[in-house]
Amino acid sequence: MKKYLLIISLLTLLLSIFWSCEKDEICLEETTPILIIRFYDNEDPEEFKPVSNLNVQIEGIEGDYFESNISTDSIAIPIKVTDDITKFKLTINKDDGDDTNDDTDVFDLNYTREEIFVSRSCGYKTIFHDAEITLETDNDNWIKKIETINNPQEITNQKSKHVKIFH
Amino acid sequence: MLKYFINIIILFFTLSLFSQDKVKDTLAYKDRYGLRVGIDLFQPIYSLIDEDRKGIEFVADYRVSKRFFAATEFGFSEATIQEDFFNFYTNGQYLKIGADFNAYKNWLGMENIIVVGLRFAYSNFDQKVNQYTINADPFLPNQTITNTINHNGLNAQWVEFVLGIKAEVLHNVFLGFSFRGNQLINTKEPSNFKNLYIPGFNKVYLNNNGFSFNYTISYLLPLYRK
Repeated sequence: MKKYLLIISLLTLLLSIFWSCEKDEICLEETTPILIIRFYDNEDPEEFKPVSNLNVQIEGIEGDYFESNISTDSIAIPIKVTDDITKFKLTINKDDGDDTNDDTDVFDLNYTREEIFVSRSCGYKTIFHDAEITLETDNDNWIKKIETINNPQEITNQKSKHVKIFH
Repeated sequence: MLKYFINIIILFFTLSLFSQDKVKDTLAYKDRYGLRVGIDLFQPIYSLIDEDRKGIEFVADYRVSKRFFAATEFGFSEATIQEDFFNFYTNGQYLKIGADFNAYKNWLGMENIIVVGLRFAYSNFDQKVNQYTINADPFLPNQTITNTINHNGLNAQWVEFVLGIKAEVLHNVFLGFSFRGNQLINTKEPSNFKNLYIPGFNKVYLNNNGFSFNYTISYLLPLYRK
């Protein structure tokens, strides 16, 4: 009986270890998608054109989204999950030693939200439906044209771009 | 227990010395058959330590042949579980029906059991999401939503592979421990949530398996001998 007891308790221990090391303890699935923007050349709309020293701010939120300014032809920025509108402020040529060429453009993203359950470790995500984009015009927009890939745009994943900016 | 074994062995040896030329005893030993009923001790004790979990389970088995028993468990359980991004509550009842095989060869008159068993189990239950926070980029503000979301009328069916022991500690009184590996076969999932905890099954892991155990005290009502 003692021998069996030992075998059973060892087996129990082994099985418990096996079952407790499951991968659902870590969130691996995609959660709330972020907005993917690609920058194109306004003269040649098929060609990517990087922006230089770009700074991104979101209205109502303190601080810059990117820790340092970036020069790139593609960015991914988060969308508010507490509001049906997010206002983005994109400044180019920031902190490049020349204050005169800094230019800030503002655009709004309007959408409706849906909350989707993902998994135990990831919890709920928000996906965005019927997203529409509006550029605020000023005297000197560096953004010549901004458009969503579809109209209206569904933002349910972050596999491909959602917005094109021509400059 | 070991001392007892040794005594019996010595006794048998001495008996066999004396019985060399005698006629064989034809009086065969008869096993006791009956209904054993009991209760799980683990869940009530555990709920004293962890207030978020409460439950009670009753167990019963009935001996059908020398080594086979028909076995059942039924109970109620409720649990509040905190995950990284949400908190939920489950409550419901369950019933398990199956068979146990005694893998232990007893000395005459002993009735200890090493259980190898199988169960089919059914549970119906309700789930309630108490609060949740959207999993989103931490740069933006987030809020914890405390609207309770009810997911009622859920159910699940699963199979359990049982390993355990039952030992007679006093006359007709048995202490038992069993470990169960569970595999979910079918479940009615809520919309926009998942059955993450099922009464009787416990935590549902990613590939629909889980484990549970009980620690029981039971009483044998002897009915007849065979």
